[in-house]
Amino acid sequence: MGRIALSPADHRLAFALLGAVALVPLGVQSEYWLGVLITGLYFAMLAQNWNLLAGITGLFSMAPSAFAMVGAYTTGLLSHHLGIGPWVGIPAGAVVSAVVGFGLGRITLRLRGAYLALTTLAFSEILRLVVANSIEWTRGDLGLSVPGILGGAKAPILYLFLGVLAAYQVLLMLLLRSRVGLFLLAIRDDEVGAVARGVDVVRYKTLAFTLSAAGCGIAGALFVHFLQLASPELGLILQTGLVISMVVIGGMGTATGPLVGALLVQVASEALREVGVRHLLVFSALVILVGRFFREGLMGLLARRRSPARLVARPASDAKRLA
Amino acid sequence: MSAALLALSGLRKSFGGILAVADVTLAIAPGELVGLIGPNGSGKTTLLNLITGFYPPEHGRVRLLDRDVSGQPPDAIFRAGLTRMFQQVRVFRRLTALQNLEVAGRAAGLSAAAARQRAGRLLERLGLAPHAGDEVGALSGGQQKLVEFGGCFMSEPRLVVLDEPFAAIHPTVKQVMVDVIGERHAAGQAFLVVSHDIPAIMRLCPRTVCMNAGAVIADGPTEQVMTDRGVVEAYLGGHAR
Repeated sequence: MGRIALSPADHRLAFALLGAVALVPLGVQSEYWLGVLITGLYFAMLAQNWNLLAGITGLFSMAPSAFAMVGAYTTGLLSHHLGIGPWVGIPAGAVVSAVVGFGLGRITLRLRGAYLALTTLAFSEILRLVVANSIEWTRGDLGLSVPGILGGAKAPILYLFLGVLAAYQVLLMLLLRSRVGLFLLAIRDDEVGAVARGVDVVRYKTLAFTLSAAGCGIAGALFVHFLQLASPELGLILQTGLVISMVVIGGMGTATGPLVGALLVQVASEALREVGVRHLLVFSALVILVGRFFREGLMGLLARRRSPARLVARPASDAKRLA
Repeated sequence: MSAALLALSGLRKSFGGILAVADVTLAIAPGELVGLIGPNGSGKTTLLNLITGFYPPEHGRVRLLDRDVSGQPPDAIFRAGLTRMFQQVRVFRRLTALQNLEVAGRAAGLSAAAARQRAGRLLERLGLAPHAGDEVGALSGGQQKLVEFGGCFMSEPRLVVLDEPFAAIHPTVKQVMVDVIGERHAAGQAFLVVSHDIPAIMRLCPRTVCMNAGAVIADGPTEQVMTDRGVVEAYLGGHAR
């Protein structure tokens, strides 16, 4: 049986989805719902970057929101204390997140499964507490006010976020076509087998950690300039939980799944806002059900319903490559 | 006399109080096909783990083509020219058969096109060409073993180490492996084959090494080793006649 995961059809679907989101501002004028959508795109960025680690490299990190917070506070501190603008602060956020990701990747690269998850969870919480308690620098829970971008207009910000997501998607596609992508997938499936076949597992796991951290850092930095506030809440474990739910529900290890999951969960969260945090119980139950019965999430379900010949391109393309 | 391809000197490894490999000294010449036998727990797989970099030796050296590779990681030893097939099948289940082979080729520095071409040829030889585009997790256990076996030849290694390649597979799959080993050996490829399949070792390997309790107890022409009193006693117990 073939699969949709990371097939050319999967990538096309991801771009089609981003294209569809680009049409939303033409029909939806509500500033509120555009804001919800922008927040969904922020989570989609985190979801894509967490998927690079968990779904593609097999590293179950609990730190995506922590790296977003690193990016957010890098630009926030630069702007608050030094008056440096967002267009310098956002790339700086990516660089600082990448450096922290590289460090964490090196420290934790011998850990797998629950041990890696627990270590990154501890890192996230420690970082959040440090940020929340460094009041003279960060103003603690009050947060740092940071300047807006693009005049604060929702539609241009939405297109900026979409552009960044599209760039992530292109980078993911190029990565997967390269030998680096092949090695990451091999590490995910069998780390011992990969190292025995000459893959420098230490180097490629660190690379995945660094890239994912940089991606989350950009997302966090962009998001605080949209919110015009950097607060320690960005690094809450709850946020990481949401990112994991989004990827698992949408389809871990697929290109489109994290986008679908992020948008669906974010819109559903807003729609269910009145029931309070109880809606998280629904997401938790969904994650358990999807993890148990539909390992490729909604994308896997879609692949089962559609003709394999249309959606499952990898085996066919491999046969062509051999011919 | 040609220089040794693989030279082990005084290799030792213990786990807690148990000496798994006890000062093993052994050499394999270029192009040699050597069988490694011994009862369960005799230290064969531990020795392979020391050779291929999965365990660092407590004592002793591993030299590959006159280069000291002791304690180097497995990927560095792969690049130095030594590939390995595991006792428990190790494949990339969600990658296709073609991609499984390409991993080793790309890691060895082949271009994408060269790796694909070589992988295609190997799959063809192993009778797996119709499954080139199939996910390996969906293949049978024997086919998965063949995929892993094929991966050993992607980098044109100097020495291929096979750990129980014939265990739990259909005779037709075994025959494919035996034929490929024979062909490659005839072309100058060196092998170290660990197996409990004594008839296969007798048919394939001109030289056999036998281990017991972590030490080499016999090393020489296969027929001679098979009739060695120490080897017979190791397999059948101390009172064998």
